[in-house]
Amino acid sequence: MNIDLLQMVESGGCSAKIPAKQLEEILRCLPLPDDPDILVNIETHDDAGVYRVNDELALVFTTDFFPPVCSDPYEFGQIAAANAISDVYAMGGKPVIALNIMMFPAAKLPVDAYKEILKGGVDIAFRAGVKIIGGHTIDDFPPKYGLAVVGYIHPQKIITNAGARSGDILILTKPVGTGVILAGQRLGLTSESDVSQVKAFMKLLNNSGADIMNKYDVTGATDITGFGLAGHALKMARASSVSITLNLGRLPLIGSTYALTDQGCIPGAAFRNLEYVENEAHVEDDLDYNLKMIAYDAQTSGGLLMAVSPEKADEVISELHNKGLDTSAKIGFVTEKQEKFLYLYK
Amino acid sequence: MRIVDTRGQQCPAPILATKKALKETKTGESFEVLTDNQTSFTNLRRFLKDNKTQFSVEESDGVWTLTIKKGNEGIAMTKTADYCVADIPHFSQGDFVIALSSNKMGSGDEELGDMLIINFIKAIKDLDILPGKIIFYNRGVMLGKDDSPVIGHLKEIEKMGVKLLLCATCIKFYSLEEMIHIGTLSNMYEIAQSMTSASNVVKP
Repeated sequence: MNIDLLQMVESGGCSAKIPAKQLEEILRCLPLPDDPDILVNIETHDDAGVYRVNDELALVFTTDFFPPVCSDPYEFGQIAAANAISDVYAMGGKPVIALNIMMFPAAKLPVDAYKEILKGGVDIAFRAGVKIIGGHTIDDFPPKYGLAVVGYIHPQKIITNAGARSGDILILTKPVGTGVILAGQRLGLTSESDVSQVKAFMKLLNNSGADIMNKYDVTGATDITGFGLAGHALKMARASSVSITLNLGRLPLIGSTYALTDQGCIPGAAFRNLEYVENEAHVEDDLDYNLKMIAYDAQTSGGLLMAVSPEKADEVISELHNKGLDTSAKIGFVTEKQEKFLYLYK
Repeated sequence: MRIVDTRGQQCPAPILATKKALKETKTGESFEVLTDNQTSFTNLRRFLKDNKTQFSVEESDGVWTLTIKKGNEGIAMTKTADYCVADIPHFSQGDFVIALSSNKMGSGDEELGDMLIINFIKAIKDLDILPGKIIFYNRGVMLGKDDSPVIGHLKEIEKMGVKLLLCATCIKFYSLEEMIHIGTLSNMYEIAQSMTSASNVVKP
């Protein structure tokens, strides 16, 4: 079987999101349901909604799906599933069950591709301890796949993007650059090693990060996806009413992300994110332009950005490294709210 | 005038083509970029503005023509003083020195020694306080070879402001002159001076 899903899309993965600015305007028109058992809703733009069942149990509920980010259907299924499940981990929850969400062009692709995508999803779900118990398919082009996931969480132990505190150190658990490398791949500019690295990181579950956050009582975190590192950091700063400073010189990058950006391989999604963030951000005047754009690069199935109290940060870093997340790094810190929500420097 | 036709292309292809043309154009000379895609045009305009590049735009029949003049962009801008408003903890650099006398860490299994030194150098980047200098001597200089497994990390560490000193005698002894392109070649006087004046010398 020789299927190349990448031939079907112009922007894959989380780059295909609606611009954050536009989305916020749309969501503002929706009434928010009023119910004391809703512990986290869209108001703070968090990774997932949380609903209390009783004093011991709440459900984390989330969904995510997108067009292909790689040629191979099985790998696409794996990446889409890891990405969807990640929102539960970002809140410190334990994912339990999921439904498949599939849009598949039955007339344009062999049914084998369909099976392979689902198989990739099931395999990653199995690794995460998630049971897929159903799903829904629509005939549509290009294909899109993802999951709706339900996880368990203790109502007192929810990690949200509103939980960052002044003084916290920000730790990022995966390197960035998926948007740049995927765009470079479409233009034939990447090496095999770039592509295999980027796929490995996208398939990597954020479960170890979630375990470590629970162990160290982290209260603030988010996962880095379509709005880029800067976009998600801004959302976190706003929701927590603090300012966030990121040292982009400390940012771990995947493969030749920097070199590609320097060639001008800057995906459109990075400009969308820039537009969303820039009014709320102060960018150091002589900040390296490439690093700045990398901070805006849309990530697919990115790592966790966690706000850790300074006395625990070293232990958290070394535990992350022990778990194989050996590019985890301290990339910034949280302060009281300053004039801007976000400060970028090198 | 050179014309870079990016009609029919989507982001980031037009930016790649523009950046390539900018590199190939002499200072003071101009070239044109054509695009028929609104998003590509908006992103190109933003890219040029951010890079302080002079350009003008004309639009007709859904095609934007950007006339771009290559200037002296890339010259460092002055820093705004209002940046660090609060007393915030910075990742700082200390005056201690890391001395690497081997391309392996510890004595024992060779493969393990290779793995450990890679992880050690990787971890330097995440230290709260970076070393002032890293000194490489004897087989330690091999870590600085172009094909060394840690070359990428060392380059990053150097970019973060850490001075890398490599023993020139050692490089000559192992005939590595053509294979080392990072750090500064150093003599025993400078090495001795750095080690004795450091607050602390770390030997992994």
